[in-house]
Amino acid sequence: MIEINNITKYFRVGFLGTKKNAVDKLSLFINEGEVTGFFGPNGAGKSTTIKMIVGLIKPSSGNIKINGYNALDYKSRNRLGFLPENPAFSRGLKGIDIIKYYSKILNIKNGNSDTERVLNMTGIYYARNTQIHKYSKGMTQRLALAAALLGDPDILIFDEPLSGLDPIGRKEFKDIILHLKEKKKTIFFSSHILADSKELCDRIAVLVNGKLLKNDSLPSLEKEANNFYEKIDDSAALEYKNPLENYLYSLMINNNNNK
Amino acid sequence: MKKILYSAFYSFNEIKNSKIFYSFLIFALILISGSYFVSQTSFIDQGRIMVDFSIFAISIFNIFIGIFIGSSIIYDDIEKKSIFLNLTKPIKRSYYLGGRILGLILAIIMSTFIMTIIFYAVLLIMRKYVSPVYFGGMSLEIMPQSIFVQSFFIIIESSFIAIIAILFSLITSKALASIFTIIILFIGEVSSRLNALVKPIKIISDGKLIIENHASPVTIFIVHLLYTVLPNFSIFNISAETSYKISIPSDIIFYRFIYGLSYSGLLFIIALVIFNKKDIT
Ligand SMILES: Nc1ncnc2c1ncn2[C@@H]1O[C@H](COP(=O)(O)OP(=O)(O)OP(=O)(O)O)[C@@H](O)[C@H]1O
Ligand SMILES: [Mg+2]
Repeated sequence: MIEINNITKYFRVGFLGTKKNAVDKLSLFINEGEVTGFFGPNGAGKSTTIKMIVGLIKPSSGNIKINGYNALDYKSRNRLGFLPENPAFSRGLKGIDIIKYYSKILNIKNGNSDTERVLNMTGIYYARNTQIHKYSKGMTQRLALAAALLGDPDILIFDEPLSGLDPIGRKEFKDIILHLKEKKKTIFFSSHILADSKELCDRIAVLVNGKLLKNDSLPSLEKEANNFYEKIDDSAALEYKNPLENYLYSLMINNNNNK
Repeated sequence: MKKILYSAFYSFNEIKNSKIFYSFLIFALILISGSYFVSQTSFIDQGRIMVDFSIFAISIFNIFIGIFIGSSIIYDDIEKKSIFLNLTKPIKRSYYLGGRILGLILAIIMSTFIMTIIFYAVLLIMRKYVSPVYFGGMSLEIMPQSIFVQSFFIIIESSFIAIIAILFSLITSKALASIFTIIILFIGEVSSRLNALVKPIKIISDGKLIIENHASPVTIFIVHLLYTVLPNFSIFNISAETSYKISIPSDIIFYRFIYGLSYSGLLFIIALVIFNKKDIT
């Protein structure tokens, strides 16, 4: 269970250091055992929110609790796996060295079988003895996912898990997420493409301009979208075929204007 | 607490495989072995030239490792975003930072050790600066104590400098951190000499003691301030003692070690406070 309580994060920008809100008074409860999709356009504040959840960034105000621990406390990450946006590793080490190190940090009992499990699951086992800087983008993404899945955590936070993958990779990653969903893991992932991940979600949260516009279950959001779809006249050129996609698209367009 | 060691070994492996570390190590080894040939061209005291030259090489290359790897080891991790996966595991930021620093210190210890061994080998070949020590019936050619102490001091000094570079890299860029560290190093090397220069001079004339200040009060104040506040690196340089094979008393070794340790410890705490507050974006 992740509780996000009224968090605001501003960055100081420009020469004068004026404040600019990246996330604005965001409150969100991420339910246990559910998959929540976190959608929004580029620059909406998705990554900033996620970095606050995993303790990389301090909120300017408000707080985040994970299983009762403040997100800034390292103990909150005991049962949490995180896949960053465009993951990277330091040079000079092999894939297996990195996974083994994380496995030790996580204090995993049967370390060897667990590293094998995650490397096989993400399909990077064959390249475990390759130096990390020789990995392609997709291979790096797979290794990072393997690192996130170490120790079979209950909470999984993925920032754009499907970006940078080819169609086969996307399918495999989605299958992994579906598999985790079956195991009743709490999953929170961000994306700006609704089409390729809608079917994974139990719940959809929409962030635009740092503000949370929607946080609903998939069926109720679809119902809302259908109503919206019927209201607009047929002559309007629609960007997307699917009502839900259209609805979210218009939400994003209409709220992004006031930038 | 075990996590800090895992983190240290991880960082050590990373540094050990890095190009910059390799290059420094190889270059120093070439210089040390090359000093044999340099000393051959001299008519006077080949051994001393050899010792001075090699110790200079060992010390400067380890200081380089401290400065350049120190200013990049955390900076690059943040810049390349590889820190994201590291810090989002259940590990305290202090353990991560401590592990990074310990890993770098391990690398400095390793490189000083390898360089000293090569240096020792060259001395053995030249049959200079080594004297037999007898163990029962066996005898072993050993370097003078001051060379061992000098190697130890090089480790202390380079680690100390590495922490300064890391501290700077947390608040500025990598390039500026290196430059600032070099400036601090330079001031730290000369501050004690400057301090001696601006000291008032005592003259006895007409049977009276006259104290004369040659420098302006402002200069004296600045030099004193630099001397007391900034680290004094000259105490880790014992080249005179190594050239003349003079042993260093153990209390001096101890005090200088404690000086380096406590000053670095203080800098580590400051670095930690900054790092704990830092947004990693
Ligand atoms: N370190 C930073 N300093 C200043 N501004 C920042 C910083 N990090 C993010 N921002 C700003 O915060 C806003 C939100 O950025 P964020 O990366 O969270 O967006 P996002 O929703 O993840 O976008 P994308 O889909 O492109 O990944 C942007 O306007 C960005 O410019
Ligand atoms: Mg993002």
